Amino acid sequence: MEKATTPAGRSPWFWAGNYLVSSAIIVVLKLTDAITAPIAMILFLGAMGLLIPLVRAGERRNCANPVIVRYNRRFLAAAFGYVLGLGIAITLWNNFELSGPVVFAIALLPTIPTFAMIWAMGRYLVEETDEYLRYRTVRAALMSLGMVLAIGIFWGFLEMFELVPHIWAWWVLPVWAIGLGLAQLWMKVRGE
Amino acid sequence: MNNRLKVLRAERSWSQQDLADRLGVSRQSVNAIETGRYDPSLPLAFTIAEVFGLPIEAIFSRD
Repeated sequence: MEKATTPAGRSPWFWAGNYLVSSAIIVVLKLTDAITAPIAMILFLGAMGLLIPLVRAGERRNCANPVIVRYNRRFLAAAFGYVLGLGIAITLWNNFELSGPVVFAIALLPTIPTFAMIWAMGRYLVEETDEYLRYRTVRAALMSLGMVLAIGIFWGFLEMFELVPHIWAWWVLPVWAIGLGLAQLWMKVRGE
Repeated sequence: MNNRLKVLRAERSWSQQDLADRLGVSRQSVNAIETGRYDPSLPLAFTIAEVFGLPIEAIFSRD
């Protein structure tokens, strides 16, 4: 059993805790109108910097192979791009009278980094040479896809009959990512 | 499928990590194959046979 803290650095939990506390503080400051949306975005980008040591600590602890390290780098870069793109898009939308192609262009700002996330996941599956790890990831991805389809269809009909509010379609990616995490946790609990 | 991975490994005093390094896979993979939770592909089964210097049927058998 490995120790929680290795001589090489702090535990991933330390960085995860710092990240969550920082994010929570920013959310509270924003909800209480202590800071404006652009300031909140800049602070959140700073807080996201904590994800770098978090990912590195996780890689050290799990002796991650180079493919996983590459995936983490790509995904983190895309996540930074997403927050930055979303922040810029919302700021522009809230402060200017935009229409037509400009709106299309600002919609692309957060969208393109999410395409990069999907590409990073695809590349991981292509580059992973360990067939068991690839099998586990594919299985978790399919389980999560099933969850997204089930929730999406159920929600769609509930929405059609006006029982639940409308939600934006971009929610599919975060819901899928949560499902991926849950599926991996479920496989771990079952000892698979 | 049944396999004799654990016995063959023990005969050589190899840890799961030792075998994983020889096969070029993760320790989790060796553990999953050894405990019957995952059946390896034919190419990996051939590599396992090569590492142990045995024919595949001396390592793997049907239930």
